[in-house]
Amino acid sequence: MTVIAHAGHWIASLLYDAPVALIVGALLWQNWRDKRRKTGSGH
Amino acid sequence: MNIVIPFAHGIVGKRDIPIPDYVFGWAAGVVLILSFVGLAVLWPKPILQPEPAKRLCFFPSLLVDIVCGVIGVALFVIVVYAGFAGVQVGTANLEPTFVYVTFWVGLAFASLLFGNVFGPFNPWRAIARAVAWVGKTVSRGALPEPIAYPRWLGRWPAAVGILCFAWLELVYSNKDDPSTLSVLALAYAAIQLVGMSIYGIDTWTERGDAFAVYFGLFARVSVFERRDDEDALYIRAPLSALFKLDIVPGTVALLCVMIGSTSFDGFSNGVLWNDLAPDLQKFFVNDLGASLNTGLELAFTVGLLFMIAFVFGVYRIGVAGMRLYDPEKPWLVLARRFVISLVPISLAYVIAHYFSLLAYQGQAMASLASDPLGTGSDLFGTASVGINYGVVSASGIWYVQVAALVIGHVAGLMVAHERAVSDYPDSRIAVRSQLWMLGVMVVFTSLGLWILSAAGQA
Repeated sequence: MTVIAHAGHWIASLLYDAPVALIVGALLWQNWRDKRRKTGSGH
Repeated sequence: MNIVIPFAHGIVGKRDIPIPDYVFGWAAGVVLILSFVGLAVLWPKPILQPEPAKRLCFFPSLLVDIVCGVIGVALFVIVVYAGFAGVQVGTANLEPTFVYVTFWVGLAFASLLFGNVFGPFNPWRAIARAVAWVGKTVSRGALPEPIAYPRWLGRWPAAVGILCFAWLELVYSNKDDPSTLSVLALAYAAIQLVGMSIYGIDTWTERGDAFAVYFGLFARVSVFERRDDEDALYIRAPLSALFKLDIVPGTVALLCVMIGSTSFDGFSNGVLWNDLAPDLQKFFVNDLGASLNTGLELAFTVGLLFMIAFVFGVYRIGVAGMRLYDPEKPWLVLARRFVISLVPISLAYVIAHYFSLLAYQGQAMASLASDPLGTGSDLFGTASVGINYGVVSASGIWYVQVAALVIGHVAGLMVAHERAVSDYPDSRIAVRSQLWMLGVMVVFTSLGLWILSAAGQA
């Protein structure tokens, strides 16, 4: 609970996650596209 | 007069940088993405295998081993003696600073710059080799053959050894006590001598001696290599020796322990952990009946193990992603194939996290060398030399930390890319699989910068 109560101490550090979010988004998109391509070639 | 110097990790001070810290994280992410694109376009075939190397000069291997071995044993004896005979104050006794700064941090830097420096100075290896030589000479014949080292044991002894040292350094409340350190140093040396006598000196040193394995991995990033069969010193492409590493069981665990423990060292100095640790401590004290001190140690143990598990989890996800392009290979096979890409990252974490410790606390060796026991002696006339905190500014340290993390992670990407283009005949598959390793590198870079930034502000 202390962690949430003191969120102001560390919440700004979530800005460090922007590049991570970008890469995760790119990976999910690539995964989705590969799956779609596989499904398309299966029909 | 003895100068008492506070023994603390990574004293940094206030930075004066023109842009917010997190912007460095974004810039590092951009550099990694651009590096990934550059590798995909410009590096279609393996270039680090076979290892490109060139003979540099003559290197008297046996003579160097004898001289350095004697120095290594002498240093070991002096440090252990100081721990027992000197004042039992961590900052005034030679041993804690020697172990945690000169040995643990200094040798990591030296391994990067000069190659396997620890090898010839390794005191327990020098003792074992001397005993073996005497045994051979006296018996006038070959000594009994060592027992075959079990394949399954791999680098697990080294992984456990580094975990134990990390626990000592980061968790144990009595870590600065000189006599305790001396007892542990003797116990460690005894274990190494037993291991070498059972499995052979070289085999045990390469697999079981935690520190030899640890510094040996970093030395593989270096451009220098000694070749004993030719008595020659070679210069090679940086990182290329990583591809000659025999990937045995325990190597993935060892790298996760190395990165996770350094991460926890920084994380435990940050705001988030300082908010969380008292709650964990209360749980162990109030609910499990631990003393305040034990409760804190248990809380820190949980934090250390959590950080190692986190590092393993990130790498696990990266390998699982790569497996989408190579589903025939078991997960563990892929994890071991690509684990060498974690070596430059681990080294980057060490440089980024401990640079300030080495730059500041390393200077304490000048006074401690003159007064190793803390009894007021002045053997070399340097006992009154203090620490010059102006040698590098807080901003300068931050720039070194950012540069180390970015260069280390780009190097990790290069190693993973080299492995991928040699393993996958289709370069498109190689590049696509490495998008997952890019993700791993970006996570570790962001984590490293966040930890360092938070530690600097706490």
